[in-house]
Amino acid sequence: MASPDFRRVLFNTIVWLTLVGVGVRIVLGLGLALLLNSKVVAKYRLVTVSRVLLLVPWATPPIVAIVAWRWLLHPQLGAINPALQALGLIDQPIAFLAERAWVWPAILTIVTWNTLPLVTLTFLAALQSLPQEQLEAAEVDGAGHLHKLRWVVLPHLEPAIIVMTLLSTFWTFNNFVYVWLTTAGGPGLYTNVMATDVYIKAFIDGRLGYSSAIGVVMAALMTAFGLVYLRVVAQRELEEAFDGGDR
Amino acid sequence: MAATAERALPPAFAVSIRTGMSLPGELALVALTVLALAFLVYPTAWVILASFRTPETMFAADRFELTLDNYRALLATGFTRNILNSLYLCLAAVLVSTFVSVLAAYTFSRLRFPGKRWIFGSVLLGQCFPWIILVTPLFILMARLGLLNNHLAMIFVYVAVTIPFSVYLLVGYLESVPRQLDEAAIIDGCSRFQVIWRIVFPIMTPGIVATATYAFMLCWTEYLFALAFLTREELKTMPLGLYAFFGENVTEWGHVMAASALTTFPTLVLFLPLRTRLAAGLAAGSVKQ
Repeated sequence: MASPDFRRVLFNTIVWLTLVGVGVRIVLGLGLALLLNSKVVAKYRLVTVSRVLLLVPWATPPIVAIVAWRWLLHPQLGAINPALQALGLIDQPIAFLAERAWVWPAILTIVTWNTLPLVTLTFLAALQSLPQEQLEAAEVDGAGHLHKLRWVVLPHLEPAIIVMTLLSTFWTFNNFVYVWLTTAGGPGLYTNVMATDVYIKAFIDGRLGYSSAIGVVMAALMTAFGLVYLRVVAQRELEEAFDGGDR
Repeated sequence: MAATAERALPPAFAVSIRTGMSLPGELALVALTVLALAFLVYPTAWVILASFRTPETMFAADRFELTLDNYRALLATGFTRNILNSLYLCLAAVLVSTFVSVLAAYTFSRLRFPGKRWIFGSVLLGQCFPWIILVTPLFILMARLGLLNNHLAMIFVYVAVTIPFSVYLLVGYLESVPRQLDEAAIIDGCSRFQVIWRIVFPIMTPGIVATATYAFMLCWTEYLFALAFLTREELKTMPLGLYAFFGENVTEWGHVMAASALTTFPTLVLFLPLRTRLAAGLAAGSVKQ
């Protein structure tokens, strides 16, 4: 359990998949929500079309999202390599899902793409209820855009950000398919995470005991997180909080 | 800053909404929005489009030939079996799971009983657990019961994993049904089951449909349990069939794209009517009123 392999798995799961993955999603989701909520989007009548298009990645099953991105990131057939070559950014095609330097950013791109709409929609919904008087009051007091964002908008979004961070953490930490169907933990065991390790140890190596031990560690971590979640949700009286499932 | 920039707007634009930005600034934001939306739509749109292109020209930027051959070839491989398996498993699981969830949600919402907080808490907590840690114990259980490679076992698993979330969602919907309605029905002599069937069910139908749809999509695209429990070809579901086309050396891209598109169509169609309902649920849950 204390082997270097397992430390690698733990690091991949906690730092790469969960910390970086969830962080990127929340920040981009916030940015996209602010962008789609901006007056410019309303002015050019992009509100309805943007709301509908935003749903597309969410309505795309993860197994299909992975197919699409496996093609996009493909060194010979994909669209990304020729585009980068045409721009003169790279000379040789990159096998994004096979090279250590690229494989984590590539996996996280897929996860982020697939899960961004849910986060963005939640923030958009929260933005709708932002009291306009507060913004106007801040303007009267001479607050610039950044001040308004920091002192009016973000405090209003705080509950939504907390709930989404917690939910995204469960969904991402527990997820199996994103890593399994893109790299199967490879190259080598470079992107192996706890969820895939449980599967590999049990069903490929036949080490049920070791696999169960990893499972128990996962369950313990998520129970701790779950208790925090219940506390936050209960405290804020958000019992009807929407709760979807990742697979 | 807001006041001075307005003057820079040409009159045609100034009529509608004041953005407090210069025209180039606005256009930059519009460009950013369009880019972001293109990034979000492109992969899915491409897969669906590719499924209608001939395998030879699928990856070509210059040639574009439309065909249904991919679908014909796909259905000739036995993928129809996978589709039927998926449909059967998902529909059966969703029916059972929704039935149980409606009863459970009603109980949590309306009845008082000792330990309710704890039981409901554990239902919520049930969602935090990774599915992957259920796989090994369930595998051993199924093996002992002789239920490996058995659709009944898969239905059981799908019912189990969709219940927590369905109950959670339904309890939320039930809170919006006035309690006086079922209290009045009870006084008029209805039994609990009559209340659920005659009063709550009709009012809740949109919520139940939304919940069932989401549960269906969860099963429809489920990969992990199917991978672990179904090894016989004739029992496999669509997601397994789809990934079988990624061979060790050769990938049948035509089959992959057609199968992906067939997996995506139902979720796309089911999702659009759901979106307002889900968004409303999201808003209720995450916005501090």
